[in-house]
Parts: sequence; structure tokens; C-alpha cells
Amino acid sequence: MSIPLFHVLILAGILFALGLGCTVAWRANVIMMLIGIEIMLNAVMLVFVGASAQWGAADGQIFSLMLMALTSAEVSLALAMVVYLHRRKQSVNTDDFDSMKG
Amino acid sequence: MEAILFYLLAAVTLVGTLCAITARQAVRAIVYLVTSFFALALIFYLLGAPLVAAFEVIIYAGAIMVLFLFVIMMLDLGHPEKMQAPRLADWWPALLLMLAITGSVAVLAVARQLQVPGGFTGISVRQFSRALFQQYGVAVEIISMQLLFALVGALYLGRRR
Amino acid sequence: MTTYLSLMLCFPLLGAMINALFGRILPRRLVEGIACAAVFGSFACAALAALAYRAPEQVVLARWLSAFDLAIPISLYLDPLSLSLCVMIGFVCGLIHIYSVFYMAPEAGYARFFALLNLFVFAMLTLVLAENLVLLYLGWEGVGFCSYLLIGFWYTEKANADAGRKAFITTRIGDTALVIAVAWLFQLFGTLSITQLNGMAFLVPGGIITAIGLLFLIGAMGKSAQVPLMVWLPDAMAGPTPVSAMIHAATMVTAGVYLLARMFPLIGGSAVVTAAIAVTGGVTAFYGATCALAQRDLKRVLAFSTISQIGYMMLGVGAGAVTAATFHLLVHAFFKALLFLGAGCVITAMHHEQDIFKMGGLRRTLPLTFWCFLAGAACLAGVPLTGGFFSKDSILAALWLKGGGLYLGLYLLGLITALITAFYSFRMVYLVFFGSDGHSHVGHGAGELKAMEMVLVPLAFLGLFGGVLNLPAYLGGGFLNAFFSQLAGGTAAEGSHMEELALQGVAGVLALAGLFGVHLRYGGAAREARLRDAAQPATRLAAFLLNGWYFDRLYHACLIRPYQALAQVLWQKVDEGVIDDTLDRLAEGLGTGGSLLGRWSTGRVSTYIYSFAAGGALILGYLAWLSL
Repeated sequence: MSIPLFHVLILAGILFALGLGCTVAWRANVIMMLIGIEIMLNAVMLVFVGASAQWGAADGQIFSLMLMALTSAEVSLALAMVVYLHRRKQSVNTDDFDSMKG
Repeated sequence: MEAILFYLLAAVTLVGTLCAITARQAVRAIVYLVTSFFALALIFYLLGAPLVAAFEVIIYAGAIMVLFLFVIMMLDLGHPEKMQAPRLADWWPALLLMLAITGSVAVLAVARQLQVPGGFTGISVRQFSRALFQQYGVAVEIISMQLLFALVGALYLGRRR
Repeated sequence: MTTYLSLMLCFPLLGAMINALFGRILPRRLVEGIACAAVFGSFACAALAALAYRAPEQVVLARWLSAFDLAIPISLYLDPLSLSLCVMIGFVCGLIHIYSVFYMAPEAGYARFFALLNLFVFAMLTLVLAENLVLLYLGWEGVGFCSYLLIGFWYTEKANADAGRKAFITTRIGDTALVIAVAWLFQLFGTLSITQLNGMAFLVPGGIITAIGLLFLIGAMGKSAQVPLMVWLPDAMAGPTPVSAMIHAATMVTAGVYLLARMFPLIGGSAVVTAAIAVTGGVTAFYGATCALAQRDLKRVLAFSTISQIGYMMLGVGAGAVTAATFHLLVHAFFKALLFLGAGCVITAMHHEQDIFKMGGLRRTLPLTFWCFLAGAACLAGVPLTGGFFSKDSILAALWLKGGGLYLGLYLLGLITALITAFYSFRMVYLVFFGSDGHSHVGHGAGELKAMEMVLVPLAFLGLFGGVLNLPAYLGGGFLNAFFSQLAGGTAAEGSHMEELALQGVAGVLALAGLFGVHLRYGGAAREARLRDAAQPATRLAAFLLNGWYFDRLYHACLIRPYQALAQVLWQKVDEGVIDDTLDRLAEGLGTGGSLLGRWSTGRVSTYIYSFAAGGALILGYLAWLSL
């Protein structure tokens, strides 16, 4: 239990950065972008849990549970949209969906 | 002792995530990610959050990642040659951003180092659930409604015409 | 006196306003009647003022401009100089108004014409009577403005409008010098009252007086058509003949001489200024006479002759003999107006043919015009015992008596010019009136022509017997000499009676010599030879004189072409190239910038995620930097 918050924060930061990098780099596949978002959310959950460990309160953990619930809702909707888009254009490349151009 | 464990698990998480984001095939990425989530769950347990650790495994690794797998299979995107992996031109801005964010967080974290508190033994399930349903009862209800909305939305988006 | 002066100014102003505002709806006879009555009313007031005159008098009519230390009331000054000019202006302009009733009979725009004529008389009287320089300048500008409008009276012809504009712009150069002088005087003395200024010459160093005097001279050069600003007067003959008679012979062009005479106490002390005035006058007199020698258009001969005679007046002022100059001014007004009006009769009779080589034999068809014109030409030439003889000779005598190399040289120049003057004036008479009837297309005396000829008679009398105004000393002394004795420059040097007689003898001999020479060259059989010569292209000398010593071409090359080139550059390079294009390019640049920014919204999610992530990274980085 004596893990310094500083270490946890560093780990979470690196995880967050990795998730962001995945989202930004994988233009070619929208599912990989969603995976990047998952990684970022996990990093945030880690921060909350680390904070609750630091200050001994349950609030951080409760919030990370809520995050988890909301993530699952968001993922289901996002994947439903991916299915829909694939049905329309037979492609999951995000660059192909640019009808909002200009 | 916990420190060593923590570093080990941290290493596993990072390696798993790295492999996940550079995988050529989506299924492999999912599996790597599951590994990383397992390690993360153990880190949660180390940080005195057993319930969160359990939920991480059940919900995240168990439900959400499986959902991803379902969709990948359904879309039948299989062939690696057909799928475009990101080129160097795609990676270098990502690397830049990664470095920037990591650096900033490191600097910020180092600037305010806090003492490790003594006497923390973890939050038990009883404590957790007491806090959840007493203080955050309304939030639980709202989240359940949220899940209902998501369900309806997913049904609507996925319907056959 | 106040009543006379204010009425003298009000009559023509009222006449002008009524004719300008209502002239088109009033009956024609009424319009003409109002115009003539206004000017004759003004003359009557001048005559009454002359009868009541005792001593120089200043009359303040109203407050005009007063702010801080600038006080310019509407104040008039009546002294011998202004009084004599007012009487002359009233009489001559009145006669010309009557003349123009008949001359402009076929004209439809009569209301505008008479309104402008009246306005001109008002402005000229204001100029003459003004007691302060600003009011004088008002009159100065007024006469210039009326002159511009009247020269271009038939403005639908481009040549006429151009002539009007040329006159205005050329005199404007002189006006600028005058304004500078006025402003400088105010800065020096704090007052612009002429009576006060004329007494203050001793307060400033001679150099400044010289400079101010030269500025006044340039102003006079413009208005009085002296070299080098005389190019507008020959072209001003594009206006109707009464306008030429009134404005460009009798009154407006003498305004410059009047200005110099009026300011003589202030500027006469500087020898440089008087020498400059005299030299200007002498050169101009010579120039005008030589050019008149070669002209073919009747009115242009008279225009150059005017330039020459005003040069004589300037000579008089430059020699310090203001009386002599004023004497010549008055007599010149009479005979030059006579000559112009006579020319108008001839032109009307010849159905607007103005080339003297196409005229002839009018002695028999227009006898009254012939005798009056001959009287005018004799005055112009200075035939002994005419008014012109006495006046011109008083100027030459003043030059001789002043002494010194410059003035004697100018005296000789004046003598040569007198010879040439006699020559061209009789040349004009011989070519127009003598010879056979072969060329004439005369319509016989229509009613208008008869009336116009009648007007010539009083002017002929005044011209011939105007000499009585200022008889030389051996004949009993001059009236004008006595009248003007209080004026600075009023008393010229008096020579002995023998000297005067000798000088007059010389001048008279020259005039008769000119007449004799013309008779030889243009009289009788030789006339036909001259007419044949005129049909040939002109010789080099004749062309040089005909074109006014090519001054027009000189000015065009030196001033107008560079100005037009500059205007072209400023228009195309600066106005369009720099100013317009800058705005255009600015607008274009902003448009391009906008469309470049617009390329950011690609419609692709990846772009937006990039922007989002970059923004977030920036914020985090900034926070990290803050905590460093």
C-alpha cells in the first residue's frame, strides 16, 4: 500500500499518452481508434484509484466504477455506429467519411 | 516488496499496451490489451481497491473487449494485407504528442510530490458499497438509465432496413 | 458721401442679382433696361460724389471680418485716383451696356450676359474703391471670375471654354503672388488697411519692401497681361466683342496698374521695384506692338495693342509718374473701348468675318464707323493733339526726365514702340476701310448697326479731346496734375517748356512717320500687292510675330507637358497602382488567408482529433512550464 502517488501518476501519464498516440495514428481503422480511447480511460481510472489510495477515501474508486459503466455504454454505441458505417461504405477507414468537408 | 510488484506489473501493462497499439491485426491488439488490463487490475488490487480490480476484469476485459471482438468478427476485416497499417507519416505526430504529454505530466507530478500516508489498508467491499449506495445512490440510478439509453441507441443504430 | 458710395456699389449688384435670378422670366427689354440703368445709376452716383468731393475720405459701410487681431471692415476710400476711375468706369461701362443691347440682339442667353456684366461692374468698383487689401482682393477675384465666365460665354464651343480657363489659370498665378503679399503684410504690420499700410513703408528694411513690391508686380502682371503672364489676353478675344471692350480693354486689365498706383507709397521707395515695373512695362509694350504688326484677326490686333498700351502705363508707374499713368489709363479706356466697339460694328456688318485681309471698302458702307474708328486709331497712334498724344507723351516725358541709363534706354524703347504702334494702327484702318468693295459682304445698316454706331460717337469725342484732362505745362498746366498732387508719385518731375515741346515734337513726328509709312505700303495700288502677299504662307519673322513670339509653345513645352506627365504618373502609378492596388491586394490577401484557414475543416475525424490532442498537449505543456 505504500506506493507513492507520484509513481502511479507517471504510469498513468505514459498510458494516457500511449492511448492518445494510438487514437491519433490509426486513421486507417476506426476500431483501433476506439481501442486507443479505452486505453486512455483506463489510465484515468488508474489515477482515480491511486488518488483514493493516497487519501484513503472511497470516492476515487466509486468514480472509477462509474467511468467503467459509462465506458461500456459508450463503447456499445460506438461499435453500433461502426457497424452502420461499414454497412454504408464497406470501409472502416475514417478518412473516407468526409462529407462534412468545407 | 509491493514496490517491486508494482514495477513489474507496470512493465507488463506498458509492454502490453505498446504491443496492442502497434499490432497489425485488430484481434491481436485486443488480446494484448486484455493482458494489459489484467495487469492493471492487479495494480488496482495493490492500491487497495479489490472491488474495482474485480470489476476491471469482469466488465472491461470480460465484456467490453469481447464486444470489440464480436464486432471485428462481424465486420470480417480479417486480411492484414487489405488493412492499412499506419505509416511513418502517421506515427511521428503521434510520437510528438505522446512525448509532449508525458513530459508535461512528469514535470507536473515531480513538482508536487506528496508523502505516502501510513496506515492505509485498502477499502473493503463493505466500505465501498456503503459509500456507493449511501452517498452516490442517485448516481447509480442515473447510470442505470444511461445504460438503458445506450441499449436503445445501439438497437436503433444496428437495425436492419 | 456714404450714400453715393454705397449706392454706387449697390446698383450694379442689385442689377446683377435681379437679372441672374429672374432674368429668364422677365421681358427682354426690362432685363436690358435694368442692366443699363444700374450702371448709369452708378455713374450718376460717381458724378455726384465727384461734385461733392473735397478731400480724401474713408467710409466704413459695415463690419465684415473680425477675429482676434484681424479687423477687416467693408470700408471704402475715395481719393482722386479712385474717384477718377469710378467716373470713367461708370461712363464707359454704361455706354458698352447700351451697345451690347444691340450687339447681343440675336443672342438667347441675354439674361446671363447682362447679369455677368453688372456683376463685373460691381466687382470692378469694389476693387477701385476698396480701402483694405482683402476687399480689394474680393474685387480682384470678382473681376477675374466674371472675366472667365464672359470669355467662355459661348461655352458650347470648346475653344471658348478653353480660352476662359486659360485666362483664369494664368491670372491665378498672379493672384497667388498677391495673396502671399497680403498675408506677408498682415504678418508684418498686423493691419491690412491701405491708408495705414501706405504710411508704414519706413518701418521695414528695404529688402522686404522690394520683395513685397515684386509680389505685387507679379499679381499685376497676371491681371494686366504683362510679359510673362500675357498669354491669355489674345485668346480671350473668343468672348463677345462688348466683353472684350469692357473687360479686356478699359477696365479689368487696368486693375494691375491701379493696384501698383494705389500701393505706390508703400513699394515705390524701392528702386529695384520701380525699375522692375518699368522694365516689365517697356518689354511688354515692345512685345505687344511687334506682335500686333503681324496679326490677321481684327480683334487680336486690338488685344496685342492693349497689352502694349498697358505696358506704357506700367512704364509710367515705374518712372514714378502715377499721374501720367492714370492719365493714359483714362484716355486709353476711351479710345480702346471705341476701337473695340467699332470692330464689333465691322464684324457684325461683315457677318462675323474677322480676318482683316478679307475686308475692304467699308469706308463707304459704314461711314460713321469709319470716322470714329479713325479717331480711335489716331489716338492710339499718338497723332498730335489727340488725347492719346498727350497721355502717351506725358509718360515718355516722365521717363526722359527721370534720367539714368535704364530709364533713358526705356525711353528709346518707348519711342520705337510708338513708331510701331502708329504703323499697326493705321495698317488696321487701311486694310479694313480702304480699298475697293470687292470683298465686302455687307448687309446694309440694320437698325441695330445704326444704334451701335451711335454709341461710338461720345467715345470718339472723349478720345480726341481727352487731352484737356492733363494739358502740358506750357499750355496752362494739367487738371489731373493738380487733382493728383496729394498722391505719392502724383507730381512727376517737371521739365522746362522747351524740353516738353521737344519731346512732344519727337513723338508727334514718329506718329506721322508711321502714318506715312503705312500709306506707302498699304495705300492705293500697294494694297493689292499686300493682299496677295497675305495669301502666301507667312515668312519666318511674320510667323514669329503672329504666334506671339511663340510664348504659348514655350509654356506648353516647359510647364504644361511636364504637368500632364506628372498627372499621368500620379494617376496611373500612384492612384491606381499604389492606392487602389494596395486595397485590392489587401482584400485579396485576406480572402486567400480566409480560404487557407478554411482548409482546416476537412470533414475528417482524424484532423479534428489532431487539433484536439494538440490543443490539450499545449495546455498541459503550459501548465508544466508554469510549475517549472
